[in-house]
Amino acid sequence: MKRKSIYWIYWILALCGLLLATSLFSLCTGSVGIPLKKILEVIFTGKGTTEYSIIFNVRLPRIILGFAIGGALALSGVILQGMFRNPLVEPYTLGISGGAALGVCLNIIFRLYQTFTVSTLPLFGFLGALLVILLVYFLSIKKGILKITELLLTGVMISFISSSLIMLIMAVSRAEDLHGIIFWIMGSLEEPNLILIKLALLISTIGLIISYLFWKDLNAFLLGEEEALHLGINTERTKRLLFILSSFLTGCSVSVAGIIGFVGLVVPHFIRMFVGTDHRILLISAFLSGASFLIFCDTLARIIISPLELPVGVVTGILGGSIFIYVLSKKQIILGGK
Amino acid sequence: MILYRKVPFLTFVLSPLIIVTFYLVSLLFLLSEPINAEMELSKNPQRIISLGPSITKAIYLLGIQDKLIANTVYCINPPPAKEKEKIGTATDVNIEKIFNLKPDLVLATSLTNPKTKEKLKNLGIRVVTFPVPKNFNDLCKQFLELGKLVGKEKEAEKIINNVEKRVTYIKKKVENLYKPKVLLQIGADPLFVATGSYFLNDYIELAGGINIAKESKEGIYSREQVLSANPDVIIITTMGILGEEEKKTWEKYKTLNAVKKNKIYIIDSDKISSPTPVSFVDTLEEIVNLLHSKEK
Repeated sequence: MKRKSIYWIYWILALCGLLLATSLFSLCTGSVGIPLKKILEVIFTGKGTTEYSIIFNVRLPRIILGFAIGGALALSGVILQGMFRNPLVEPYTLGISGGAALGVCLNIIFRLYQTFTVSTLPLFGFLGALLVILLVYFLSIKKGILKITELLLTGVMISFISSSLIMLIMAVSRAEDLHGIIFWIMGSLEEPNLILIKLALLISTIGLIISYLFWKDLNAFLLGEEEALHLGINTERTKRLLFILSSFLTGCSVSVAGIIGFVGLVVPHFIRMFVGTDHRILLISAFLSGASFLIFCDTLARIIISPLELPVGVVTGILGGSIFIYVLSKKQIILGGK
Repeated sequence: MILYRKVPFLTFVLSPLIIVTFYLVSLLFLLSEPINAEMELSKNPQRIISLGPSITKAIYLLGIQDKLIANTVYCINPPPAKEKEKIGTATDVNIEKIFNLKPDLVLATSLTNPKTKEKLKNLGIRVVTFPVPKNFNDLCKQFLELGKLVGKEKEAEKIINNVEKRVTYIKKKVENLYKPKVLLQIGADPLFVATGSYFLNDYIELAGGINIAKESKEGIYSREQVLSANPDVIIITTMGILGEEEKKTWEKYKTLNAVKKNKIYIIDSDKISSPTPVSFVDTLEEIVNLLHSKEK
C-alpha cells in the first residue's frame, strides 16, 4: 500500500512538472520570439514594455483558459467513461456540445451579439447546453430510475438532431454570419473577456474537487452497476450527480471555447494506460494531463503556419489520435472494465 | 477489497489539490487586468493595419500607402500591397503580431472574428469596422468615412465626386436601352448569387439590367429558379478555376436566353467583390458593355 502511494505521488509530481513545462514553453513561443532567459527579466522588470503585454495580455490568458478547458474536458471524460463503462463515451457524445452550438448559432443569425455584446455568445452557448442536459436527463428517467443505456442513446440522438439543425441554420444564413458560426464551431482558446476565463478556471477546479467526493463510487462502478449497488453505493443518486457534474463541466467549457474535440476522449484513455483505473489517481492525473495537452496543442496551433493560426481542434485531433494509436499498439489497453 | 481499505486521505486527495491550487493562485496573481489605455483619437494615424482587401485598395487610392504597415495575405491588389507585412487572412489574424507592430488604427471588416476585435480593443488598439456595403451609396459613404479617419477627407471627397459623375453619365446612357434580365453568380455548389441586399446588386441595376434574384433573401438559389426566370445574361465570377466549369454547365441548358444569345461572361472575383468606389465604376463600365453588347 505504501509503495503504491509513493508511486502515485511521483506520477502527480511528474504531471505537475509537465504542466509547468508546457506552460513555460507556451509562454515563450509565438510569432514574437521571447527567449526563456528573457522571460523572467520581462516578468519582473519589464512592466509597460510590449513584451510584457504580449506575455500577460495575449499569451497568459490563453494558457489559463487552456488549463481550465483541457482539465474540465478530460475530467468529464474520465467521469463519463467510468460511469457508462463504455470506452467510446466522451463529453460531446451526450449532445451537450450540439446544444451549445445551436444556442450560439441562433445568437449569431439573429445578430444578438452585435446589439448587445460578444459576451452573449457564451451565455447562449451555456443556455443551449443546459437545455440539452435537462432534456436528456428527463427523457432518460423512467419510473425514477436513470437508465444508463437510454441516457446514452438519447444523448446521441439529440446530438444528431442539433447538428442537423445547425446545418439547416448554416444553409439559410448570410455569408458573414456563416463565418461567425464556423469560427465558433472550430473552437479557439482566444477569449477577450477576462471574467469568463476566471469563471472557467473556478468552475473546472471546483469540478475537480467535487469529483473527488465520488472516487469510491466511481471505483465501485468499474465492477458494474449492480455490483456497485451491492457494495453499498447509492447508484441512483451517484449516477444523477455524476451526469450533472460532467455535463455542467462540458457545457461551461464548450460555451467559452467552442467545440475542441478529442481532449475528453483520448486523454482519459491515455492516462489510464499509465496510472491504472483507480479513480483516486485517475481524476487528478487526467485533469493535469488534459490541461497540459491542450496548452501544448494550442501553442502548436499558434506557431505551425504563423502568422495564420490553425484551429486548435485540428492539432488535438491529429496529435492526440496518432500518439494514442502508437501507444495502443505498444501497450495492452485497460478500458473501463477490469 | 482494495477499494475500501483506509487510505491516507491527506496524501491522495489533499496533496494534488494543494499543488493545483498553488498553480492556480500563481497564475491568477500573474494575470493582470487588460490595458485600458486611453484611446487617443488622433486625427492623423501613422501606423495603419488593414484586415481586408478592399480596405487595402482604398488606402492606396487615398495615397497613404506609406502609413499602411501591414495587411492580409489576400491583399494582392494593387501589386505593391503584396510586399507589406502579412498578419493573417481576412478572417483569422495573429493578435500577437498586430500588437507587436504597434498600430494606432486597425481597419477591420465584417469578416473579422468579433472575438479578435474585442481582444485588440482590450489591448488598447483602436479598431474600426467597415461592414460589407449594402449598395453603391454605402460604399461611397464608407470611403468618405475612411478618408475622414486617416485625415484625407478632401482627397476622398474629390474621388467620390468624380466617381458620381461617371455613374450619372452611365445612368443616362443606359436609360433608354432595353433592360436585360441578369444573373450574377458568385458561387457554385450550392449555386450562390447576388441578391438585392448587397452592393453587388448595383452592378446590375446601375448598368441598366434587372437582377432576377433581387427579391431572394438568401444567396442560395436553385437552377430551376434560374431556368424559369430565364435570364438574358449570366455573369460568373472566377472563383478560382470554377468559372469555366460553371459556364459549361449553363451552356447545357439550351432554352436559356443567355445561352441562345451566347451571353455568359466570366469576371475576376477580386475585382467585383472587394471594390473601392473607383474600381466599382470601372467594373460597372465593363458590365454595361457586356449587358448591352450586340448579340453575337
